[in-house]
Amino acid sequence: MEKKYWQSIENHLEAKKGENKRNNEPMPEFSIEGLDESEIKGKSSRRDFLKMLGFSVSAVALVSSCQMPVRKAIPLLNQPEELIPGVPNFFASTFFDGNDYCSILVKTRENRPIKIEGNNMSPISKGGTSARVQASVLNLYDDARLKKPHKEAVDSDWETIDKDIMDNLEAFSLTNKKVVLLTSTIISPTTKKLIEDITGRYSNIEWVMYDAVSYQAIRKAHELNFGEAAIPSFSFDKAKVVVGFNADYLGTWLDPVAFSKQFSRNRKLFKGNTDMSRLYQYESQLSLTGSNADYRFGIKPSDEGVILLNLYNEIAKATAFTTYNAPATAFDVKKAANDLLENKGKSLVVSGTNNLNIQLIVNAINNALGNYGQTLDIDRPMNLKQGDEKAMADVVKQMNAGEIGGVLIHNVNPAYDYIDAKAFADGMKKVRLRVSFADVKDETAGLCNYIAPDHNYLESWNDAEPIKGQLSIQQPTINPIFDTRQFQDSLMKWTGVSGNFRDYLENSWKSILPSEGNYSINWNKAKQDGVYSYAVEDKEHKFSEQGLSAKVAGSGIELALYEKISIGSGKYTNNPWLLEMPDPITTATWDNYVCVPLKYAEENDLKFEDVVKINGGIELPLIVQPGQADGTISIALGFGRTAAGKAGNGVGQNVFGLANKNGFVSLGGKEVTIEKTGKTYPLAVTQIHHTMEGRAIARETTLDEYKKNKYAGNEEHLRDEKNNTTLYKKIDFDGIQWGMTIDLTSCTGCANCVIACQAENNVAVIGKEQVKNRRIMHWMRIDRYYSAEEANPDVYHMPVMCQHCDNAPCENVCPVAATNHSNEGLNQMLYNRCIGTRYCINNCPYKVRRFNWFEFTNNNQFDYNMNSDLGKMVLNPDVTVRQRGVAEKCSLCVQRLQEKKLTAKMENRELRDGEVQTACSQSCPTDAITFGNLLDKNSEVSQNVTEGRMYHLLEHLHTLPSTSYLTKVKNREA
Amino acid sequence: MVINGFVTQKARHWQGFLTRSLGIGLFILLLVLPQLSFSQTAADEANFVQCRACHTIGGGKLVGPDLKGINEKQDEAWIIKFVQNSATLIASGDAEAIKVFEENNKIPMPPHNLTDDQVRGIIKYIANGGKLADGEAAMATETTEDRVSGGAIHDPDEEVVAEMKRADMRNMRNTFLIMLVLMLISIFDLSVSKFIKARWIHIVIILISIAVGSELLFVESAGLGRQQYYQPDQPIAFSHKIHAGQNQIDCQYCHFTADKSMHAGIPPLATCMNCHSQVKEGKKTGKKEIAKIYAAFKNNKPIEWVKVHNLPDHVYFNHAQHVKVGKVACAECHGEVEKMDEIIQVKELSMGWCIDCHRTKKVQFESNRFYDQYTKMHEKLKNGEKKTVTVLDMGGEDCQRCHY
Repeated sequence: MEKKYWQSIENHLEAKKGENKRNNEPMPEFSIEGLDESEIKGKSSRRDFLKMLGFSVSAVALVSSCQMPVRKAIPLLNQPEELIPGVPNFFASTFFDGNDYCSILVKTRENRPIKIEGNNMSPISKGGTSARVQASVLNLYDDARLKKPHKEAVDSDWETIDKDIMDNLEAFSLTNKKVVLLTSTIISPTTKKLIEDITGRYSNIEWVMYDAVSYQAIRKAHELNFGEAAIPSFSFDKAKVVVGFNADYLGTWLDPVAFSKQFSRNRKLFKGNTDMSRLYQYESQLSLTGSNADYRFGIKPSDEGVILLNLYNEIAKATAFTTYNAPATAFDVKKAANDLLENKGKSLVVSGTNNLNIQLIVNAINNALGNYGQTLDIDRPMNLKQGDEKAMADVVKQMNAGEIGGVLIHNVNPAYDYIDAKAFADGMKKVRLRVSFADVKDETAGLCNYIAPDHNYLESWNDAEPIKGQLSIQQPTINPIFDTRQFQDSLMKWTGVSGNFRDYLENSWKSILPSEGNYSINWNKAKQDGVYSYAVEDKEHKFSEQGLSAKVAGSGIELALYEKISIGSGKYTNNPWLLEMPDPITTATWDNYVCVPLKYAEENDLKFEDVVKINGGIELPLIVQPGQADGTISIALGFGRTAAGKAGNGVGQNVFGLANKNGFVSLGGKEVTIEKTGKTYPLAVTQIHHTMEGRAIARETTLDEYKKNKYAGNEEHLRDEKNNTTLYKKIDFDGIQWGMTIDLTSCTGCANCVIACQAENNVAVIGKEQVKNRRIMHWMRIDRYYSAEEANPDVYHMPVMCQHCDNAPCENVCPVAATNHSNEGLNQMLYNRCIGTRYCINNCPYKVRRFNWFEFTNNNQFDYNMNSDLGKMVLNPDVTVRQRGVAEKCSLCVQRLQEKKLTAKMENRELRDGEVQTACSQSCPTDAITFGNLLDKNSEVSQNVTEGRMYHLLEHLHTLPSTSYLTKVKNREA
Repeated sequence: MVINGFVTQKARHWQGFLTRSLGIGLFILLLVLPQLSFSQTAADEANFVQCRACHTIGGGKLVGPDLKGINEKQDEAWIIKFVQNSATLIASGDAEAIKVFEENNKIPMPPHNLTDDQVRGIIKYIANGGKLADGEAAMATETTEDRVSGGAIHDPDEEVVAEMKRADMRNMRNTFLIMLVLMLISIFDLSVSKFIKARWIHIVIILISIAVGSELLFVESAGLGRQQYYQPDQPIAFSHKIHAGQNQIDCQYCHFTADKSMHAGIPPLATCMNCHSQVKEGKKTGKKEIAKIYAAFKNNKPIEWVKVHNLPDHVYFNHAQHVKVGKVACAECHGEVEKMDEIIQVKELSMGWCIDCHRTKKVQFESNRFYDQYTKMHEKLKNGEKKTVTVLDMGGEDCQRCHY
């Protein structure tokens, strides 16, 4: 029987029951924003009509009799050499927000950052970015940012607060009263040096690092096993088999950008290569990694230890290590164990659970497999996630006991994300000096009596060492917009360290950069490259065995919290781009919700959008989630902010308090109760908005099949190629024909491209209400398909944007030729010619065209970023901001094509392959998207289209798209 | 001599009904086009252009000394050395060079990338009193004469053009009014007075009036938002006629990003100060206007020029593409700026105007290696199927070359 693919579990189940879903599907309720009730219902009177008529006539008369507005051209007094208006500059810098690291290039136009790209020179991120990195540029232009220092919740100035704080600190120093410097993980060697400098001088200042999501168990386990409290660096590219346990390493775990790059290196089936890695994933909620795994198992969080110990025993038996008593498990570990044993030293077992016992078993497995020194490197440990849970707990205890005189809080928000936020808030009341460096007045800053706002990271100097030996530099790309001061400069000022942090940084790099050669040349090169590496020596490590144990799971419903790909642990909750980004798995926007397994929902008669009460407190709507393990529910962190800003306040509920404190705080495993409330709450889920009505869109095969037949899973392509015929004349391209290929085997669905496209092309944010009305404006969407079993489905991610058909159905129906074809194969959309008939949208089989139902710019109904002067600074000046009433769609980043063509012409040379990149292809962390000239026989893209896996979307329609897809291959036995 | 195509009086810029006409635009275009063909001068005069930024020939001291008689005062070899790199000469301790340097407020003369022969040519040119030797001067005389008479603001020819333009506008307005009156009379007669019995006459008159009115309406409304002949007042009475005309400063000396960026660029004040740190008095306006530069510099407040050539926001225009790649002369779009005191927009800058050029303009198909990848086009050229390659052949009519 033909395999069925579906997008919505509800529709799929009804279709299975045999009901005709198409006719039964209720039309979604539409609301029209900007009109009041009477207007919607058509109650406007004849008087209103005449008034409107009179007004518009006089308005037209007025406008047409007016002169054109006078436009000014204001040159600079002194034009810096590197600044040419109209030509972008790129600065190498570093993105680090306390959790995620990425080496980046910042594109500035007229000295204002407008886009983030990956830095190809970085050995860690290798030019990739994540959706959060892409969206971080919008945070620079956030209206919620503090414009001045605050004292007791009112605007103040630096002089006043400097004096107050210095007086206080001096008094504490004299009385030896404790002052706590509470920061996020700091990976900057220079900042670290500065803080150690200060704590060395003032014995009463204690430095504590705190992570909202702690990874301390990994460090602790390595301390016990190897004597070093380190997170080793991982090499997924060297691993032929990866077994993951609740670790979403392609989405959120540690350094997903680097891991995605490594992961995809191992799964490139081009030019006859049939070698690819195999992923096993045992997890509770369907994560991005799980959706890309070759074999996936849904487990309860408390089952994890037992499964791991069984896996360990299997491996220990074969490698002559000690075995331990393990309770039996219903899950199959033999297959994974065999694969691991076949790939000793070329495999990797990782767990994302912050539990010491579990991490000890993981270490024991990796040790037994000889992975240390191969796929795991303790000599070059990761510096991410250095938070110390005990130190933080002590701080809260001491604050409540009144033992602390002052707290200085940098880049953390424990009043929101600490497991016992109330205790923290209570403790804060007993501290005299409470200083926050927050750049927005967040929950914690709200409890402080002084706020010394920090610069945005794009305004700051800093450095970073995410992995030992791999450094990068962060440099400012814009003058500070507001009266803010960098955290380090504030610290230096208050503790009497002379100079400024920029010079301090340059000085500190004198000990980092090689001594030979001219220092300023070396320093400038480091700044230009953005990255710098030095060699780290290998050391001998002895593994000291620890006793391993695991308990059998309880029977209750367990909660598995997770970080959302988009907003993470809450730092980006006010970023409208990320809030509107459909989740790669649930496709939900603008909300959090409870993911409930299908079986539980059926048993308890729960359905999509029903509101449930968790542990008698938090009320959230639910989504019936295929792949959610039985006996578990999942909720995302990061929502329920009360002081994030206009977009993020009051979205969803804060669930940090529901983490599992059992030794270390881990996200999964707390037993919870669920109550039905009988209420419903609307969710804006995009999964069926642009459905392709069940046609065979995502094509797939297994590696075994693919080895036998390179057209495996893609037989339809051969048939369509043979049968297709047309009345239209074939277009004869000369010189350039742009084309794109998307490799579904590499694509993980991380949605980096969606946000990259949004940033590049000025795509409007429209808000939850309009998303629900199926009006999302993203030019690029990632379709997610399920197939096979409902309880644990196979998942496919498929980026879809305008296919730029040579026989484009949209072009034929436009009455004003506002969409037509270029001689380079682009399907062009002309906003100024469009009259908004929407015929093209209706005739597009791929559903990639969007309509501007409203004016999204300068419209306070859409209070996101395009209605404020500050928010509009992020717009790309090379791309028209669309007005109400016109259709829009992917342009293949025509502004970039034109720019690179011009560069080539100015340099008197032909275009080079790989030089022209669209926003989506440039920063793809898995290099799944390839863009180039199809007429250049040596270009990567024209090689890709000769692969047997190549097919076009809906190719039986013979639309001749310029975009091709490459079949997804799962590494399974047939 | 071909008359100037520009109107120096204020052409008031109305956006309203029936105040501009396509006809005028074409007329001006016709007047200007023949001029474009003779912008070359002999090599020596061209080389002297860069000297003119700081020196005159018999016009007194500017930034540097008056060069009249330099060929008699100084030895040729010395001049060549000084022109090519004055700093080296001064540093070598040459007494004469140091004297010149100190006499001129120690402003160094920048090095010039000129060959010995080129400098010799320039010296010859100076010796000849700023004129080319007889026979070489065929074209250039006119420009020189024009420059000499450049002080006069009102050129009689310009008056003629302005008057014709105004007349044309009047004609258009009159046509419309006459048609309107005729139509009203015939409607009145048709329904009330019934003076003419044959009703077809009324109908014909009404139909013709409507047709003419619609045509005028179409022409005018297509021009809405266009600003041909826009000539706003600028905050400083800066004269391109003096700078680009008399002093022959190259366009790209000030608009130095025209070959690099989409914007030609308004020069930063620092560029003005390159010369005006010395030139403190203008020929026409005295110290008053130049003082505004100093004031702006002192107050750290840039000058707010009024933008003359505006394109709608949905148009992407790139100067570098046209200036550097297409090798289009500035004057093709901006007119003869060197003859304008105050800048006026002479071209329509409408889409039709752009496209007309794209249809006929040849691209640098053979000389620019970028076009090597167009193999089929090269084939066509070789076998004679095509004679030339225009912008249109390269997709110059595709919408997304300019709108995205």
